[in-house]
Amino acid sequence: MPTVVLMDVSLSMTRPVSLDGSEEFQRKNLAVHGLNMLFEHMASNYRLEFTALMAFSSLWELLVPFTRDYNALQEALSNLEDYDKTCVESALNGVSNVVQQEWGSACPCQVMLVTDGSLGIGKGSLRHSLQTLKQRGDDKKFPLPFPFPTKLFIMCIANAEELQMTDAMDNLEELLRLSGGDGQIFTVEGPLCMKSVQAMFGRLIDHAYSPFHAVLHCGNLSSDVQVFPRPEPIVVDEEVEPMPRTVSTDLEIVGFIEIADISSPPVISRHLVLPIAVNKEVDEVGAGATDELEEEPSASQMAGKSPNFCVLLHGSLKVEGMVALVQLGPEWYGMLYSQADSKKKSNLMMSLFEPGPEPLPWLGKISHLGPISEAAENPYGEDDSKSPFPVQPQVKRSYAQNVTVWIKASGLQTDVQKILRNARKLPDKTQTFYKELNRLRKAALAFGFWELLKGVADLLERECTLLPDSAHPDAAFQLSHAAQQLKLASTGDSQYAAFDHNIAPMHTDFSS
Amino acid sequence: MAEGNSRFSVYNQLILQICKMKMFSVSHKTVFVVDHCPYMAESSRQQVECDVLTKSRAQGVIPLAPVSKSLWTCAVECSMEYCRILYDIYPKDKLVNYIVSDSEFHILNSWRQEDQSTHELMSALAAVGPPNPREDPECCSILHGLVAAVESLCKITELQHERRTSLMDMAERVANRGRIICLTNAKSDTHVRMLEDCIQETILEQNKLAAGSDRLMAIQQCELVLVHIYPQGEDTLVSDRPKKEVGDMTHFAFSLKNTTPHLKALLLFLPLLPSQISPLLTSEVHSVRAGRHLATKLNILVQQHFDLASTTITNIPMKEEQHANTSANYDVELLHHRDAHLEFFKSGDLHMAGTSTRENGLKETVTLKWCTPRTNSIELHYCTGAYRISPTDVNSRPSSCLTNFLLNGRSVLLEQPRKSGSKVISHMLSSHGGEIFLHVLNSNRSTLEDPPSISEGCGGRVTDYRITDFGEFMRENRLTPVSESSHDPSGKLPAERAKAQLERHTRYWPMIISQTTIFNMQAVVPLANLIVKETLTEEDVLTCQKTVYNLVDMERKNDPLPISTVGSRGKGPKRDEQYRIMWNELETLVKTHAGATDRHQRVLDCIVACRSKPPEEEERKKRGRKREEREDRTEKNGSKDTEEKSWQESERLKGLLDKEEQEAEVIKDSPDSPEPLNKKPRLSTEEVQPPERAKGPVSLLSMWTNRITVANSRKHQEFVGRASSVNNKFELYQHLKDENGMDVHENGKASR
Repeated sequence: MPTVVLMDVSLSMTRPVSLDGSEEFQRKNLAVHGLNMLFEHMASNYRLEFTALMAFSSLWELLVPFTRDYNALQEALSNLEDYDKTCVESALNGVSNVVQQEWGSACPCQVMLVTDGSLGIGKGSLRHSLQTLKQRGDDKKFPLPFPFPTKLFIMCIANAEELQMTDAMDNLEELLRLSGGDGQIFTVEGPLCMKSVQAMFGRLIDHAYSPFHAVLHCGNLSSDVQVFPRPEPIVVDEEVEPMPRTVSTDLEIVGFIEIADISSPPVISRHLVLPIAVNKEVDEVGAGATDELEEEPSASQMAGKSPNFCVLLHGSLKVEGMVALVQLGPEWYGMLYSQADSKKKSNLMMSLFEPGPEPLPWLGKISHLGPISEAAENPYGEDDSKSPFPVQPQVKRSYAQNVTVWIKASGLQTDVQKILRNARKLPDKTQTFYKELNRLRKAALAFGFWELLKGVADLLERECTLLPDSAHPDAAFQLSHAAQQLKLASTGDSQYAAFDHNIAPMHTDFSS
Repeated sequence: MAEGNSRFSVYNQLILQICKMKMFSVSHKTVFVVDHCPYMAESSRQQVECDVLTKSRAQGVIPLAPVSKSLWTCAVECSMEYCRILYDIYPKDKLVNYIVSDSEFHILNSWRQEDQSTHELMSALAAVGPPNPREDPECCSILHGLVAAVESLCKITELQHERRTSLMDMAERVANRGRIICLTNAKSDTHVRMLEDCIQETILEQNKLAAGSDRLMAIQQCELVLVHIYPQGEDTLVSDRPKKEVGDMTHFAFSLKNTTPHLKALLLFLPLLPSQISPLLTSEVHSVRAGRHLATKLNILVQQHFDLASTTITNIPMKEEQHANTSANYDVELLHHRDAHLEFFKSGDLHMAGTSTRENGLKETVTLKWCTPRTNSIELHYCTGAYRISPTDVNSRPSSCLTNFLLNGRSVLLEQPRKSGSKVISHMLSSHGGEIFLHVLNSNRSTLEDPPSISEGCGGRVTDYRITDFGEFMRENRLTPVSESSHDPSGKLPAERAKAQLERHTRYWPMIISQTTIFNMQAVVPLANLIVKETLTEEDVLTCQKTVYNLVDMERKNDPLPISTVGSRGKGPKRDEQYRIMWNELETLVKTHAGATDRHQRVLDCIVACRSKPPEEEERKKRGRKREEREDRTEKNGSKDTEEKSWQESERLKGLLDKEEQEAEVIKDSPDSPEPLNKKPRLSTEEVQPPERAKGPVSLLSMWTNRITVANSRKHQEFVGRASSVNNKFELYQHLKDENGMDVHENGKASR
């Protein structure tokens, strides 16, 4: 989930913060300090996150496009300049553009607004933007909510009391609500200083940028892993199940399925599954523990040499062309598979299915997938020539079962012509003739279209009179028999008009 | 027009998004109430020519008069088409209850899942037949059906029941909403209002009844869609009316309470919602001419009611019957859940993606281009959604060509038509088990690009993973659907049993080749495959034992073992050390399963009994000449240990005896082979065990005695000799050997 840092560089950010007995800081310095700490944390613990840095005042500028190069981000922070007034709305429009250009409108994104809470005055101020929300045309819509799913974090270089003295807090809350409500407003606790700002960013890290660690199990084989990006909680049904579901930290493999059988399933998100060394976990508990950096290479070299289940699993999944079905929680599943990028690199990936007992209709209920050893004979065949998948639904879909639809006249005409065509080829086509006849009869009865039955009966009688002399005598018998049966059905007499009744060919014997 | 229209659709979409999150929205229950009164027997006056004469036959034949459908036939076939699309796209949990009304009501099916199919409905409709024009119109009314519809909406569905039961004390979260689609011929607007009032009253009455019943639920929201049908060429007596705007907003506010903040935020931008007759009932009226117009109307309604959207697949090459080697390009329109277009909606790309507005401007379709499929490569696409489809024109030739192609197992990628730039594949059509799905493929940049390769991470430098073996393991642990009826005695669901199997199969599973010997040996395979089973048959035990004997045999022949030499210099461990490692590993494997059943235990016993214990082996080699003497000693030893002879021992002996019969001769002749193993035990057997005990199965007495002995042995300190015995034997006077200059070191090492 990419991050956009939206940094307020308006003049108000240069307001000095008085600290006891030390040099003066601007609020901007505090913000930069906090962000630096965040970037350092990400560089060591959340390295794969793409982050972009934007600065805004009355205008906005993309300082660093999406990157994993945290040095570049930190460097840009150190070169910030000061500009005029705060204009949140235009900056948010900028965010919307930048994100959509890079990731489209489906990719969830975290937006981090770093500001001192003085949100501008007059036109262009957040207050003004919010007041005029309802008086806008389609071309000047407020940028929130963004088209993409958003987590909005508002980092205030100010404490809550300060923000509540004006309407700043109310406006920021409104902003968060407009963005969809997913996110949080962070304020400095206690007096403004390096330490309190650091603590605030620490809370953000714990909330949104701590790596998701889990244990991947396959029976007794297991591996500690980091799942990246962090899997988000899912609300299945607002009404029936309002509590969001979260991915368990124990990922249990249930069994294995061929790629052809799982067949490009729809997924709600994709994650890298990265094996981690167990002892490293301790290091990463303390947010922003950067002093471990030096030791890391040797530790990771050690880890590289001890066998890891993830690597084994990945290798075999890749070679065999299979996926592992993994349970993420109660009635929630996903799949593990090998994903190769364009180069030689490949990775273990996990995709999450929609929570529920039956995320993929073609697998049936996941809880009812059992080991093949239980089956009387191997459902894959001795030579892997068969497969128990896909699971067939009990009822065929309309397009798979030759339904009768006469909404367009052509549908009806085609069906009548089919009968006539076969009628002319009697007795060779006796079976098809009656099959088509019965299909038409059934539909006509269901639609209460008795007039059609009479009409087709007339047609058949006419065909009978038009039979050439060379025609097989059976043809005439069958035609008049069919016509008579249709006429009887068209009376609605329950004896002849039963839906499940079929007109059977007349029994004739011309062999002797 | 277009602008207002797109705003309308965005508006609609937002409303639908709210409903989407709800399992029990109004679309969970749909009641069709179709008028079966005498006037419905009237002709629609839309004529269908069904006698299309070919030119060659035209002379002298009077064509059949065109037929025309009655209002009833029109209503029934359009409602069936609505149901067809609905069932294609939502085979479950979107239910239809079909009611026909004349002098009384006829309920044609129930909410139960097995009643939900067009075939069921057609069959029931055939039984009803067309309206009887001679029936007394005074007795007939659509009201009977409408009242029955409200009653039916109060009836609990299987899904509602299931969810209520599972939610226990939160059962009130399961809502009861529904829609009534009434196809009738109304007399006037006043008549329509009368019908609405009547439904409103019935709901209130029924809700009171429902409050006191377990099988009934009060209706929280009901949507009435009244479709007034009149013959072609007549003027309508009833005016169209969108969702009726009467009543208050409290109900809507209530339903908002549960929506996500995100959606609430979206709603801020909506104009006030059309309100309702009452908090419970909304109503809309459509006045439509029978025939084609009615079909179009119901097609639009089914799309609105079930969040559907339309995609037209264009440029489908199709072989012409007449000209087999040319192919014309066709278009086929499909309906599916609108989320398949979500990306277009959000990015405002609808027009870029080739949207066209058609007919009355209400119906939009997105055009996607067919990409001729490559060879059927098996690939895992990154797919963000898969939605069932239904062709709008199901039995047209292009539609059936496309659907048959897909049903035969081919997949088709679909491309966004663009004037310039690179081609963007955004969708895929594919069938799974006879159902066709429109897959949405991700066409944006991935946030996971350029990840560190797995070879750079933990365990990435290890090169001798047992990839092939684990592949085999995965094949054995593939899954298969197990019928819900088959009940396991353990009460575990199949998926739990699959996990249990994984647990058994991995109790001992070394990940790299250099960590294992036994899994590199063909000879161990039969045992390794069997021992992980939950239960063993007698035959399995025998196979395992044979495997063990085979290993014993290998050892005797001094066959080389595939011991990894990785990490050790030179030739690696000596042959006997190799066997020791192998036996240890085998024992480790089998030990992890020994607790499962007695038969598993017997396999372990067999290994314990058969595996050569190095001290013994060494001794034997070195003291070949003193055999006689040693045998005497063993004899003594044996007689002392009589009571301790376990039944396992007897098993071992029995096994060895069998073995001896098979292989004794081969071994005796070889000068290099170690002392035949069976020699000693045989002697002791003869001396110690009664013959029938050695050969037959263990008696209850001996098992009991063993158990008691074991229990007793815990109560006293074990004799030093017994405690450090090997195979129940302890060599006496060991110090003599040392004094005689025997290799102390080697002995010590081996007996470690």
